[in-house]
Amino acid sequence: MKIRKYLLTAIVSTLLFTAVSVSAQAPVSLDLQPDGKNPASPVMGDHLQFWSTITNTGTSPIEGLVAWISLVEIDPGNEQPVDLEDWSAHKAVTGASLGPGQSLRTDWPMRLIKGGDYRVVVSVTDRNGRQVYTSPTVQFHIRQKPVLQAGRVLPVAAGIPLLIVGLMVFNKAKQRHKRVFSTHGQVREG
Amino acid sequence: MIDIENLRLSIEGKEILKGIDLHLVPGDTYGLLGPNGAGKSTTIFALLGLSAYGSGRISVLGGDPAQHALSIRRSVGVMPEKAGFYDWMTAPDYLKWYGRLYDFSPTDEDVAKMLEKVGLGAVAHRPIGTYSRGMKQRLAVARALTPRPKLLILDEPTNGLDPKGRREIHDLLVEFAADGNAGVLLCTHLLDDVDRLCNRIGIIDNGRTQLEGSITDLLAEQVSGQRYRLRLETAPDTTNLPAGVVMAGHEGGWWRVQVQATPFGEPSALWPELWRRGWKILEIRSEASNLEELYMSHTGQDEAHNREAA
Amino acid sequence: MMNTIWTIVHKESAQMLRSQRGLLWLLAFSGLLSAFSLLLVSNTELSLLDNAQVVYMMAGTVLAAGALLSAILGSDAYAGEKERGTLVPLLCAPVAPSALLAGKAMGLLAAWGVMFAVATPYLWAVGASGQNLGAALFYLALFGTPVVLGFGYLAMALSARTGSVLASLLSTVTLLMLAASPLIIGPGLRGTAIGRALDAVNPFAGALNTFDSVIIDSDPFSAQTARLLLVIVWLGLCLIAARRSAARPDFQ
Repeated sequence: MKIRKYLLTAIVSTLLFTAVSVSAQAPVSLDLQPDGKNPASPVMGDHLQFWSTITNTGTSPIEGLVAWISLVEIDPGNEQPVDLEDWSAHKAVTGASLGPGQSLRTDWPMRLIKGGDYRVVVSVTDRNGRQVYTSPTVQFHIRQKPVLQAGRVLPVAAGIPLLIVGLMVFNKAKQRHKRVFSTHGQVREG
Repeated sequence: MIDIENLRLSIEGKEILKGIDLHLVPGDTYGLLGPNGAGKSTTIFALLGLSAYGSGRISVLGGDPAQHALSIRRSVGVMPEKAGFYDWMTAPDYLKWYGRLYDFSPTDEDVAKMLEKVGLGAVAHRPIGTYSRGMKQRLAVARALTPRPKLLILDEPTNGLDPKGRREIHDLLVEFAADGNAGVLLCTHLLDDVDRLCNRIGIIDNGRTQLEGSITDLLAEQVSGQRYRLRLETAPDTTNLPAGVVMAGHEGGWWRVQVQATPFGEPSALWPELWRRGWKILEIRSEASNLEELYMSHTGQDEAHNREAA
Repeated sequence: MMNTIWTIVHKESAQMLRSQRGLLWLLAFSGLLSAFSLLLVSNTELSLLDNAQVVYMMAGTVLAAGALLSAILGSDAYAGEKERGTLVPLLCAPVAPSALLAGKAMGLLAAWGVMFAVATPYLWAVGASGQNLGAALFYLALFGTPVVLGFGYLAMALSARTGSVLASLLSTVTLLMLAASPLIIGPGLRGTAIGRALDAVNPFAGALNTFDSVIIDSDPFSAQTARLLLVIVWLGLCLIAARRSAARPDFQ
C-alpha cells in the first residue's frame, strides 16, 4: 500500500515537473511597463503610454504574431471590459515576425476617457500556435473631471435660439415698418 | 418674329404636336386658339427651347431655339399659364430680382410705374403671398413686360380677372403692340380677348394647326354664316324662307336660324324680309360670334373623327 | 452667367434668412443643439464624457442636420418650384440650366454656411477646454461641405427628374438614413463585414470616421486622404447626376 502511495506520488511529481518544464519553455516572454513620463495621478483627458516588450524565447521563429491591448474596468460593482474605440487608435500589432531571441518593443498610447480604476494587459498569439500569452497587468486610477462647464454651455444653449427668435421678430417688425411707411407715403402722395 | 413650319414633337414616346404652323411678324398680335390639350403650351415651350422638337422648323427672332435658346429668351417676355411667385417677396423686390435674370436692372421708379400700370401700385408693399389670384395675374403680366421684350408671349393672361382688370390688361397689351416693332402671341380661351386684341389667329387642335391667317380674311371666307335665336309671337312658316336662311332648330318659344353671309350682307336687312313673310319677331339674339363659329368649326373634328372610327 | 448665378444665389440665401420658413428651420436646428448641450451638462454620466468625445458627437449631429437640410432644400429646388408654379417663369427667363443648378447649389452652400456658423458656438461651448476643437471645425468644413453638397445635388437630381418633392425627399432621406446608420446604430455595425463594406463607400461614414480620427485620436491630415477622396468622388458623382437631370427638368 505504502509502495503504491510512493509510486503515485512519484508519477504526479514527474507530471508536475514536466508541466513546469514545458511552461518554462514558453516561446514568448512578455513585459508591460507604464511610460516614465505618465502622470502619477492621471485625470480624464490625460494621455498615458505603456511599453510592451515581446521576446521570442523559443528556438524557432514566430510568424504572424498578433499582439493586442485590453483594458478592464475594475470599479467595484462595475467590473467590465472596456471598448477601446475612443481610448486609442493603436489597439493591435499584427503580422510581425520574430526570430529566436528577437524582441519587439511597442508603445501603446491611450487617452483617458472615463474616470475609475482600470487594469491594462497586452496579449500575444501567433499564426500557428494555439496559446495566448499575456503580460503582467498594470493597474491605474483615473480621476474624474467634469469636462463640460455649465457656465459656458448654458449661455450658448439659451442665447442662440433667442438670437434667432430675435431675428424673426426683427424681420417681422421691419416688414411691418416698411408696410406702414409705404402706406403713409401713398397717403401723402394721394 | 416667329416662323414655325410643320412642327412635330413627342414627349415620352407620345406625339403631342403633329404639324404646327405659326407665323408672327412685327406688329402682329396673334391669337393662338385651341381646346385644352391641343398643344398650345407645348408649342410655346418648344419656341422657347424648353422642349426639344422632333422635326419641322422653328425660327424665333431669327434664331433656332434648339441652339440659341438663351439669346431668344433674353428678348422674349413670357407669362406662363401658372403664374407662380415667391410669396415672401414684395412685388417691387420680385420684379427687380426677375429683371436681373435678363441682365436688366429696373430702377425703383420703373418698377413703381409698371405696378401702377397693372393696378398694383396700392398693394406694392405687401408680400405677394397676400395677393388674390387676380392680383397675381396682373403681376404676371408686369413680370412679362419688365425686361422690355421684343416679343411677348402670354398664356391665358386675363384668366381670373374681373372686367375692369381685363380691360386694364387689354390696354397694356395694346400699348405694347402699338410700337409696331413688337409682337404678341396670345394663348387664350376667351374669344372676346382675341376679338379685341388680335389681328391674326391660329387655331390648333389635337396637335395640328387647323387654320391660320388674318381674322378679317378668315371671317370673310367663312361661309357657314351666323346663327341667331328668334323669339316669335306665333309659329312661323318654315317652308317659305328667304334665300340664305336655313332653319337650325326649335326649342320652346325660340327658333334657330342659320344665316349665310350672302345675299343679305348685313343681317339687319334680313329681319324686315322675315317680317314680311309672316315671322312675328319679338326678340333677336345672336347665338355666337363669327369668331366663335370659326373656332367651333375648326376644333373637335379629329376627336369626332376618332369617335366615328372607333 | 455669373450675374445670373448670383441673382439666383441672392434669392436662395434671402429665402433662408428672410423667410419665416428658413428661420424656423434655423431655430429648430439651434433647438436641437441646445437640447443636446443641455443634456450633456445636466446628465451626470454624460457630463463626464471627454470633451473630444462630445465634440465628435456634436460634429456628427451637425453633419447629419446639414445633410438633412440639404436633402430638403435640394428636393424643393426644382420640384418645389414646379409645384408652386415658379419653375416655369425661371425656365422661361434667359437662365442656362447649369447656371440655375449652380445658383441653387450655392444657395444650399450658403444655408450650410449659416448652419455651420450657428453650430460653431455650441462646439466651442462643449469643446473649448478639450483637445482638437480647431481641427473639429476645420474637418467639419472640409468633409462636411462635400457630403452636404453631395446630398443636395442628389436631391436636386431626383427633384428635377421626378418633379415631385415627396418622391425626391423620401428617396434622399432614405439614402441619408442608410448612410447615417453608423451614427444611429453605433460602432457595433461598423465592425461587421457589411459595416466595413458600407464604410468603404459611404461618404457620411467617411466623414464621421475622419472626425473620430482627428478629434479623438489626433491623427494627422495624411491619414484622412483616402476618406477625403471618397467624399470628393461622392460629390462628383452627385454633381454629374444633377447636371444630367437639370438639363431637362420635369416642369410640366
